Amino acid sequence: MAEPLLSVRGLSAGYGDASVLDEVSFELEEGGALALLGRNGMGKSTLLATLMGHTLRRGGGIALRGRPVERLAPHLRPGAGFGWVPQERDIFPSLTVEENLTVAARHGPWTLARVHELFPRLRERRSNLGFQLSGGEQQMLAIGRALMLNPALVLLDEPLEGLAPVIVEELSAAIRRMVEREGLAIILVEQHAHIALGLTREAIVLERGRIVHRASSETLAQDHATLERYVGMRVAAKAA
Amino acid sequence: MMVSLGNVLFNGLAYGMLLFVISVGLSVTMGLMGFANLAHGAFAMLGGYVATTLMNKAGVPFLLTLPIAFVAVAAASFVLERGLYRRLYRAGELDQVLLTIGLVFMAVAGATYVWGPGQQPVRMPDYLTGQWTVAGIDVGVYRLFLILVGIAVTAALVLGIERTRFGAMIRAAVDNPRMAQGCGINVNRVFSLTFMAGSGLAGLGGAVGINLIGLDPGFPIKFMVYFLIVVAVGGLGSIKGSLIAALLLGVFDVGGKYYVPEVGAFIIYAVMVSLLLWRPAGLFGRR
Repeated sequence: MAEPLLSVRGLSAGYGDASVLDEVSFELEEGGALALLGRNGMGKSTLLATLMGHTLRRGGGIALRGRPVERLAPHLRPGAGFGWVPQERDIFPSLTVEENLTVAARHGPWTLARVHELFPRLRERRSNLGFQLSGGEQQMLAIGRALMLNPALVLLDEPLEGLAPVIVEELSAAIRRMVEREGLAIILVEQHAHIALGLTREAIVLERGRIVHRASSETLAQDHATLERYVGMRVAAKAA
Repeated sequence: MMVSLGNVLFNGLAYGMLLFVISVGLSVTMGLMGFANLAHGAFAMLGGYVATTLMNKAGVPFLLTLPIAFVAVAAASFVLERGLYRRLYRAGELDQVLLTIGLVFMAVAGATYVWGPGQQPVRMPDYLTGQWTVAGIDVGVYRLFLILVGIAVTAALVLGIERTRFGAMIRAAVDNPRMAQGCGINVNRVFSLTFMAGSGLAGLGGAVGINLIGLDPGFPIKFMVYFLIVVAVGGLGSIKGSLIAALLLGVFDVGGKYYVPEVGAFIIYAVMVSLLLWRPAGLFGRR
């Protein structure tokens, strides 16, 4: 079997004295798309933050294309291949839209022109400052900024949260294009399980910092009992 | 005899520009990095001594000593930042104040030991001396030079921060250090370089300031309050604020000493208190 893109082994991490992740292990192949599901506070964002080096790691390892990265300083992880779209989007408010993209730029197939092609709105708003954007535009910018890093793997933390349905459609299409046409690997954290499962091939479910369920996204989408148990009634009902 | 308002404004602006060049680095250090560096004036003093020593001992032309003072002080501040300051970034402000005040005492004692307790003699080149009278205002050539230096420094800072990629990195690192790291920006190094540039500017200010405010080992203590007023009134981390605060301070200090010499030295404090009552975070404070 080929070497996996990402290999996480027995990863435990938290903040300060609080332990959040407990012995998490999973793998993701090149070009893979993984949904990370679970209720709020179960460790999904913490897992992504740990991959980016922003939590206190207590044990376990992270390897990207076989290279151990768990000890790398946070600012070196984008160079190792991680692109991060954090939950709060974290657009730099005192940078223009274009600067938000170029400040992160690394050499590779993703350029300003290609990000503009994926999100034409960002071209129109290139001279606006980061704080002048709508929620949907901020999300496009956060994704575009991660792409400018030319990552091997994009970590998307609830990219559709709180957005109008038409924007959700547009962003879902962009994420689908990233995965299916560009062959980018993603890990997608999402409250809307039915959307997340539609955009990914594999899924894992976190409960209190542990992986409690693994399945293909297609199978899990049909498995209403599991979704209801670990992800919540509301979402399961929608998926049905 | 009353001094004309034009003269007070001109002299005050020149003095204010000098205060700006020296202080803006302190505003950046305290605003961007949250480090209370009371030894900033010692960096300015070091710049002054580098310039006088090069001129008096090695015959280096005055204008050439300025970039050397900038680079020498920036390099010295790099050593201090790596060796001492970095350890206290996460410490409380009291620890930072105690460390940097200690450095001030060491700098004063060290300068007295090396260069003696007196004022440094300095002779400016002929083209920077003399005076013109323009529309009833006595325009000192050296003060005009200080104003031009201040304008050049302001332009360089604004362009550097607003228009360059490194400037965008500084702004990103200040906006959100965690996300900046997530974009591959080495936040610590960005801050180090920014700190060096700010200290270098203090060194440049110390060198161009000798002819106006003198240079002796008491410099870091004598002028500390001026630098702190510029930072407090301007607002932490604001270049525009530092510039306006420094110019106000310069004009009011010069004006107070000319017009009401009995209370002149107190005028700047009255101005500072009123401005801070009006805007507690400073004119352009972020918080």
